[in-house]
Amino acid sequence: MNGLKITNVSKTFGKTNVLKDINVEIADGKFLILVGPSGCGKSTLLNIIAGLETATTGRIEIAGEDVISRDPKDRNIAMVFQSYALYPTMTVRGNIAFGLNIRKVPKAEQQQIVDRVAKMLRIEDLLDRKPAQLSGGQRQRVAMGRALARDPAIFLFDEPLSNLDAKLRVDMRTEIKELHQRMKTTVVYVTHDQVEAMTLGDYIAVMKDGIIQQFGTPSEIYNHPNNMFVAGFMGSPSMNFIPCQLTEVGGEVGVYLQGHTTRFFVRLSQTGKDYSRWLGKNLMFGIRPEHITDYAEQVGAQEAIPCKVDILEPTGPDTLLFITLNKVKVVCRVTPETALQHSIDKMPLYFNTAKAVLFDPASGLAI
Amino acid sequence: MLNSGTIRWNHVLGRAFIYLMLGAFALYYLIPLFVMVVTSLKPLDEIRSGNLLSLPMQPTFEAWGIAWNSACTGVQCNGLQGYFYNSMIMVIPAMLISTLLGAMNGYVLTKWKFPGSNVVFSMLLVGCFIPFQVILLPMAKVLGMVGLAGSLPGLVMVHVIYGLAFTTLFFRNYYITIPDELINAARIDGASFWTTFFKIILPLSTPIIVVSTIWQFTQIWNDFLFGVIYSSGEQQPITVALNNLVNTSTGVKRYNVDMAGAIIAALPTLFVYVVAGKYFVRGLTAGSVKG
Repeated sequence: MNGLKITNVSKTFGKTNVLKDINVEIADGKFLILVGPSGCGKSTLLNIIAGLETATTGRIEIAGEDVISRDPKDRNIAMVFQSYALYPTMTVRGNIAFGLNIRKVPKAEQQQIVDRVAKMLRIEDLLDRKPAQLSGGQRQRVAMGRALARDPAIFLFDEPLSNLDAKLRVDMRTEIKELHQRMKTTVVYVTHDQVEAMTLGDYIAVMKDGIIQQFGTPSEIYNHPNNMFVAGFMGSPSMNFIPCQLTEVGGEVGVYLQGHTTRFFVRLSQTGKDYSRWLGKNLMFGIRPEHITDYAEQVGAQEAIPCKVDILEPTGPDTLLFITLNKVKVVCRVTPETALQHSIDKMPLYFNTAKAVLFDPASGLAI
Repeated sequence: MLNSGTIRWNHVLGRAFIYLMLGAFALYYLIPLFVMVVTSLKPLDEIRSGNLLSLPMQPTFEAWGIAWNSACTGVQCNGLQGYFYNSMIMVIPAMLISTLLGAMNGYVLTKWKFPGSNVVFSMLLVGCFIPFQVILLPMAKVLGMVGLAGSLPGLVMVHVIYGLAFTTLFFRNYYITIPDELINAARIDGASFWTTFFKIILPLSTPIIVVSTIWQFTQIWNDFLFGVIYSSGEQQPITVALNNLVNTSTGVKRYNVDMAGAIIAALPTLFVYVVAGKYFVRGLTAGSVKG
């Protein structure tokens, strides 16, 4: 069965295209992430799924039923908002039961549902409090409780963790994931945080300017980005983009990189790719920080190259090194021990080119 | 460079000056009330012979009694009591209706915007600046057409319409601070337009309801112009009756009765300010409603 099917959805405000021909389909029970920078249209798309905004064109199907002309209340959805949107004058119990009350669920059953949800989210002690008496994390739980009480076909989350502090955000992220694994209900989750996207999603739709740039599983998005935007957006620190020229040396295809003092050749080891028509062309060499590193055993890594380090940033588990290649700043990630062992003028680094991606700088598309 | 001693002395002097000024202004405002109260408690002889500011030698509530139930307002000599009730009967429904309509207007203008809703709001705002005199004749014509001329219900209608601009402004500015997500959450929960209004929005509105009712109560209670024009005889509000009482000359001018009557006419608004003034200021300055 279909969890959610979005077909040719577009949205225009006057002359501005907020969404352009969006097509997404996920199976029942899957976790879909809509991620992108502010103004990319992800929240608008979520509101259209919820029925809070109308699409200019297109169809929305939830659990196999066309809902485009239905009111939000008839779409069998529940939503968690960024500001939680708890009803300030009602108690936690009142907040959770409000939707049930309106749907005329019998009192005894309401009581049962509230108790079940409260237990699941560990908010039994808070049921008689008002939202103003709760902390941010507790409000977040209540907002989820209100959604869970409904037992909907699909959950919609609109940046639910962005108002929490960093530690609580990580805890709640895990809880949401656990909850989803237990409930097995379809989820659409909007976020601008690529870590949330990677950790939570079964599928990720990376959006920019009202267009889905890439749709796929987290590992597809991370390892095989379609274009430079997706490559740069997902991952922290971002992927390095080094301008270079594709050359052939002794039958091997690769690129020359110029450091402060050394100039060296790195061989590309992508299998099954034919780069012959790009030879001699100016390209962008995309490589993530963790693929310029000190782990010699990495697949496809060649001999170590001594590089002069400009800046050294210890983060705890890793140390980030900033070097200069082909006149651009490049981030590398090494273990703290390596960073201490070697002189910063001659840091040995391995380039794992098997994980590198080449982009056409004109179109930004991956080759 | 100033040393710290000089700075402290400047501070003390500045404070002293401020309190002196405030005290002087407070006195200036309180003296008329003092004169009214003491005069209303003096017998006529004492008023004629004595000092305006002196305390009554034999305080008596006789003048209050006369003002309440036997002073002449024109040809009638039943005191102000009937008119006091008239004012109550006029003010309470006018205040409640205009506040409720203002709340609904504010709700629609912020949470259920429609094409042109900003234009409607701007036009309503202009209503705050329309002088009374401009609408006197057209309103008289309308009241005549709907058969409410010269009656208290007619007066209620006039005050509701005139007050709507203000109450809408109050509620609109208050509701604009309530996040739209709250409305969206209610929509997804299945709440209708009216359920959302009565169950979620109105319970959040206590501070602004207090502001609106106090504002409307004092405006309508103190109104003289609409009262004198759109009501007649037994149906007049207390402000008009007070004017008649003071202007009815049957021989001696009874200052103590005039003063007592004026205080009676002012008491309800005084009462409202003393009881609810705290909420009034709080409501006017109320900011966002953080969930």
